[in-house]
Amino acid sequence: MTKNSTDKLVTSTSGIELKSYYTAADIPEQHKPHVDVAPGEAPFHRGFHASGYRSKPWRIFQLSGFGKPEDENERIKFLLKSGETGFIMEHDRNTADHCYNVNHPEVVARCEDVGLTGAVMQSIRDTAICMDGLPVDTSFGHAGGAVVQHAPFALAAYWTVAKQRGFDLSSLKGTGQSDFNLTYLGCVTKEQIPTDAGLRFNADIIEFCAEFLPRWVPVSIAGYNAADTGLTPDQELGVLFANAVEYLDEIKRRGKMSLIQAAQGCGGVSFRASIHIIEEACKMRAARLMWSQLLRERYDISDPKVSNLRIHCVTAGSKMTYQQPFNNIVRGTAMALGAILGGVQSLGVSGYDEALSIPSEHAHQMSIRIQQVLQEETGIADVTDPLGGSFYVETLTAKLIEKAWTFFESIQKQGGYLAALDSGWLHAQAGENQYQEFMKTESGDQKIIGVNCFRDDESPFEVDGFMGTDDAFDVATERLNDVLRTRHEMGAARALKQLEADCRSDKNIMPVMMDALAAEVTLGEIGDVYRDVFGNWNTPIQT
Amino acid sequence: MENSQNRILMAKTGLDGHWRGPTIVARALRDAGFEVIMIGMANTDDIVTAAVDEDVDLVGLNIGGHIDVAIRSIKRVQEVRPSLPIFAGGTIPPHAAKQLQALGVEVYPPGSQLADIVDAAERLTGTK
Amino acid sequence: MSEPTTQALLTSAMAGNRSHLARLLSQIERNSKVETQVRLALAGIPATSVVIGLTGPPGAGKSTLISALLTHATASFNKTAVLAVDPSSPFSRGALLGDRVRMQSHGLGDRVFIRSMASRGETGGLARTTATAIQVLDACDWPLIVLETLGIGQVELDVMDLASMVAVVLNPGWGDTFQANKAGLTEAGDVFVINKADKDGVEQTRADLQDSLSLLKPPLPINIFETVAVKHQGVEALWRGIEAYLKEAQKLGLLEQKRLSRRRRLLMRILQRDFDVRMHAYLTSEYGDNQILGALAGSLSIEALRADLFEYIANVDKRPR
Ligand SMILES: Nc1nc2c(ncn2[C@@H]2O[C@H](COP(=O)(O)OP(=O)(O)OP(=O)(O)O)[C@@H](O)[C@H]2O)c(=O)[nH]1
Ligand SMILES: [Mg+2]
Repeated sequence: MTKNSTDKLVTSTSGIELKSYYTAADIPEQHKPHVDVAPGEAPFHRGFHASGYRSKPWRIFQLSGFGKPEDENERIKFLLKSGETGFIMEHDRNTADHCYNVNHPEVVARCEDVGLTGAVMQSIRDTAICMDGLPVDTSFGHAGGAVVQHAPFALAAYWTVAKQRGFDLSSLKGTGQSDFNLTYLGCVTKEQIPTDAGLRFNADIIEFCAEFLPRWVPVSIAGYNAADTGLTPDQELGVLFANAVEYLDEIKRRGKMSLIQAAQGCGGVSFRASIHIIEEACKMRAARLMWSQLLRERYDISDPKVSNLRIHCVTAGSKMTYQQPFNNIVRGTAMALGAILGGVQSLGVSGYDEALSIPSEHAHQMSIRIQQVLQEETGIADVTDPLGGSFYVETLTAKLIEKAWTFFESIQKQGGYLAALDSGWLHAQAGENQYQEFMKTESGDQKIIGVNCFRDDESPFEVDGFMGTDDAFDVATERLNDVLRTRHEMGAARALKQLEADCRSDKNIMPVMMDALAAEVTLGEIGDVYRDVFGNWNTPIQT
Repeated sequence: MENSQNRILMAKTGLDGHWRGPTIVARALRDAGFEVIMIGMANTDDIVTAAVDEDVDLVGLNIGGHIDVAIRSIKRVQEVRPSLPIFAGGTIPPHAAKQLQALGVEVYPPGSQLADIVDAAERLTGTK
Repeated sequence: MSEPTTQALLTSAMAGNRSHLARLLSQIERNSKVETQVRLALAGIPATSVVIGLTGPPGAGKSTLISALLTHATASFNKTAVLAVDPSSPFSRGALLGDRVRMQSHGLGDRVFIRSMASRGETGGLARTTATAIQVLDACDWPLIVLETLGIGQVELDVMDLASMVAVVLNPGWGDTFQANKAGLTEAGDVFVINKADKDGVEQTRADLQDSLSLLKPPLPINIFETVAVKHQGVEALWRGIEAYLKEAQKLGLLEQKRLSRRRRLLMRILQRDFDVRMHAYLTSEYGDNQILGALAGSLSIEALRADLFEYIANVDKRPR
């Protein structure tokens, strides 16, 4: 991409042509009035709050989870002790993403995979083990449930355990994410409910939280998953807001809650921070401006508490290399820096062993240390929006916004975000980008240190993959049988039946889900109801 | 001999749905003249049945999870078609790569060049 | 390990060896001599299998529908073979064959045999060797063969020649988008399926279809079914419709006629192919070239050239080289 010769075209990842330097004249006219606005004021591109990280350092928020619920519990406690300031309870992807119990044939066929990507939690008993002793009252908790069809289960499990421990639902802070990009665009599951059923679940969660969990972030759209599948930064922005519009329009159509409240609920999002530091910082600034613009123009909302976007950010997993993995510590630092310069509220840095396995304890600790060094030693947190006013940064921010809205519009032309997922249009965009990106590294146009240049034949610093525990499947099987044997069967059967009835009706699914979890209905049983009631999404791509 | 396109079976052993890598590789193999039969996330039975019924010349596995899952499939394929070459890509840590190589499976970890993968396919199928 | 001979493979495949059947199908694809040899070996064996062709525009849901039909089909016929054709790239001659991925979770084990085929430049919606593959599956005791063509345009209707019956798979909205192909497609079908009936426009499509069909005089009434293949809705009814058609067609002797025309077609293809090869040899040989130059120069009449060509074609293998 970047060549030394002066006449070579240099572009950003979004395909925006870059000049060798910028002056005030380059800043687009429509953006000029925004340049001098203080952070914390509309249109917010300069930051969430004027005092920035001085009053509220970004949250150190690492994805974690593997093995049995107690393994995950232990790792979370380790991370909290190391200085993490929120926690994420990752569920095992084989079971959770598909809403299978461990005895499902597709899971049994891959029994060694179980527990590799998160803890197996099939019933509320498992969730209780995983949450044992965690500071759910004081910490921001991620209950898992990043996958749309899994979110109602994961959230209801977390909330029910918290309730049983005497916490008031209304005091809980956290999120479950419930993101379409994850399994409808990025890691497409073998089977999952169709997008319209998913939209209903998310709207249900938004409405339920508005009533009972006002401090909870009900859904959190993850541009990350779109970007790590190949969408460029402008497209990541466009897709994120096209998704938000889908939620808000649905809430409006249902007419059960105020749109302002819904916008508040949708206003906690996550982005990917990739390696082009400046463009990524601009992306975060652009996102805040776009959100306030969208709410004002499309929904007539300008309440600053609502139109001020909160951003969680994760560094790009796909930029982490298999070769010379310690280089990834530098990449993680650079990507984190981009996010911080962009003023994000929360950050996770992917492990240096990302391309090899799930993070080892050491890799996890390094992800936290990177953030702590940046936070405590570099002075980066002293001044809000340190890049503000830079000719280049303001220009690139404005250009990204323009490009992102264009992509947003082309999604609308496809019939909206969900239609563009259903038809495979978004996958085609991502696929083409992936191919181009791949070709650039293949040809050496894009250099990747240790991969296509400065390679080692034999590295003395080899890192091996972390493989978690090896008893997750067996223990999960035992525990599943145990639940099925010892629960109050009539209560469980009744709750399951009610769940099916409510799925078939247009009632909010969350109250009955809470009842089902309390009655110890298991994940796979709930999945079976879904498969029966909603059928399977027509995956538009061949994976 | 006319129409001698070689056939490659591509499968993913895990249930995680990452499709970036496999799709790019499949596309490159098609562009190199191979007929690529894609069966997505597949368990051992699916893989073995397809390897036999489609009479492929090469099996490509994308490995996303625990290496033992892949090894089980590889061993079953080798039982029914002992001389069928197999290559693998994906998240394969060094210790797992060694296990695969011991089974005669060629390993292309992330960061491998597409050209090398295509070369391997041609070599393993005797195309060139 | 040396490759078993074609004859050995055929014998073993006919005795039920699945991997030899699979190997034989590849050899047929690879080598037209093997194909001819197999055709000759099987020429005397009467066709007994039922062949159901599914055709329709790209992405209409043919593969998904076949997958949904497999349980019913296998319950009726005990075993089902599927041949699924996808297009080859005209540039690289490679192909991405993606039909199988939608069909494999059938849970029917060995009773189902699925084979993906690339069209390898053939334009009729099938591969050059599909006909022979059917013949082989028939001889190997697969009583039901389901054939998926690649998404068709107007003229790609080879499936009509091979199948006992053809199901044309369409989607709501067909009337607007496939104007140009309407005629060809409607003539191909013995039953029609409006798949993706969960989408808007089913009624309109049904009306359009009935409109086009009213112009035809089929030997049996043509039924239109609505399905949502992904949800298995309407699939059982479709299967019952297919069975009913097959029964009626059997009674009327239509199936026998189709089988005969299938074999006739195969035979014609062998002859045609042979003829083409010999013609090509004449045109590209020095001898033939001289004759043609002679005709152009006026020293040989067109009639004499034709006679010479036919004589050559009839006796080329007897001539000394
Ligand atoms: N909404 C809906 N989608 C369906 C239905 N049947 C199939 N699909 C979807 O349509 C897409 C194409 O399905 P396929 O079965 O691959 O179609 P095909 O006709 O075999 O496609 P080609 O072989 O590529 O020509 C897939 O995404 C299916 O999930 C249906 O009844 N309703
Ligand atoms: Mg198909």
